[in-house]
Amino acid sequence: MTPLAWSAPRRARFLTAWGLALLFGAAAFQIADAAYRTLPRPQPLEELSYYPSGQHLRPAALGHPESAADLAWLRAVQYYGEHRTTDMRFTRMGHVFDILTTLAPDFVSAYVFGGFALAQEGRDVAAGERLMLEGIEANPTSGVLAFELGFFYFVRPGGRDLARAGEYFELAARLPDGPAESARFAAFAHQNAGNIAAAYELWRSVAERSPNRYMREMAVQHMETIRVAVEQGRKDLLIKRLGVPGVVLRGR
Amino acid sequence: MSTWLIAHNTFREAMRDRLLVGVIAAGAVLLGVTQLLGPLAMGEGRRLTVDFGLSGISWLGLLVVLLVGTSLVAKELERRTIFNLLSRPISRPSYLVGKWAGLSATLGTVVLSMGVGLCALLVVRGDRVFVPGVLQAMVLAGLELMVMTSLAVMCSALSTPVLSALYTLGFYIVGQWSYDLRLLAAKAPGLLHGLLEIVADLAPNLPLFNARTLAAGGHMTSWEHMGFALAYAVLYSGCVLGLAAAAFESRDFK
Repeated sequence: MTPLAWSAPRRARFLTAWGLALLFGAAAFQIADAAYRTLPRPQPLEELSYYPSGQHLRPAALGHPESAADLAWLRAVQYYGEHRTTDMRFTRMGHVFDILTTLAPDFVSAYVFGGFALAQEGRDVAAGERLMLEGIEANPTSGVLAFELGFFYFVRPGGRDLARAGEYFELAARLPDGPAESARFAAFAHQNAGNIAAAYELWRSVAERSPNRYMREMAVQHMETIRVAVEQGRKDLLIKRLGVPGVVLRGR
Repeated sequence: MSTWLIAHNTFREAMRDRLLVGVIAAGAVLLGVTQLLGPLAMGEGRRLTVDFGLSGISWLGLLVVLLVGTSLVAKELERRTIFNLLSRPISRPSYLVGKWAGLSATLGTVVLSMGVGLCALLVVRGDRVFVPGVLQAMVLAGLELMVMTSLAVMCSALSTPVLSALYTLGFYIVGQWSYDLRLLAAKAPGLLHGLLEIVADLAPNLPLFNARTLAAGGHMTSWEHMGFALAYAVLYSGCVLGLAAAAFESRDFK
């Protein structure tokens, strides 16, 4: 039976119900819209502060810590982006990356991004270094992470550590997924750290193995320079005066 | 023979359920969402696809177990169709095993269709190297669901659908915590140590069926792991079905 065939009281109740639904719906929409425009909104992603540590979140993930880590990663990227473009305050960043890497210890990008972001934007070099060292401990066969850790020591704000940079670049050169330029970076870092013998061997490795002709020629030149300097007893000629890296952040 | 017939009918009945279409559609939507979130993940879109794809298979499969598995026997009791069946030369244990096999086959189909979708997406994305690990993780997810189905069938044979769903969910949660319980037991004193060990042993050891982390890194798990998981799934399911059959056998129908 269609509404037109209903009795008058029933039709009235039906229409009243529809009218009230539309009225309340429209009013609710207006209130929500006004509240959104006028009321203060929560600080971007401040809820991250209330997350428990990764150790406690892991059992709560019910066997799916990797998916929880992915969500934490999306949150971490947003947290970084929000604060990078607004107040430049990164007070909870260490906590966020601690959660992430505890949930997924094999998440190499999280160590790399977190390590550099903590050292640069967070201005907490020690925390960044700690995070990356935890990463290499959890992923000892990751050439990518070894290279990034070497690079971290190479550009460490406040003071380079060329010996350790060379050590990790060398490790990256030995690992299958290490970037192709690892051996060259290792040779350069060792040479400027004063480890001339190690640098010579690494340049020789580049000269013998690099697929790039220019790199091979450059490595041979470096070997020749080292040989001459050692013969003259002038190792100081081999060590460049590298500047002290700092952090310059430009906001929007 | 009767077990096979019951399994076949359970499979056909479950496959006709509109819930399955919804579950597979939800899986497809989840994969689509991972592709939308990919650009926000700063180069980790592939990881997102594999993790959520595999977790989706596991979660949606569990949803089927909770919604379909826990009412398998109760529904037949309510409709009284079980009396027709059991008045024929069909033993109660064969009936339960048939129900379990039928639903396990249905879940296998769900896992396979969602897994094939995930693998196809990875191939399209140019991440072919991740496919073998994903296939292994998919098989393990299927075995996990097989174990959960046996628990659901046991609960269904003994209780109402709502309570069965709650019990099954409880088994799932405790099962996921079984390795944590073992760690806790190692640190606990005397009696509590023994108690926790017993709980961890009795609970389904579901972390055994997790190869998702390896798959997300593009790695495969060992065949030894696969063998252990297969053996455990068969034995644990057998044990649960044995208990269920014993309890069902002693049950009086009014």
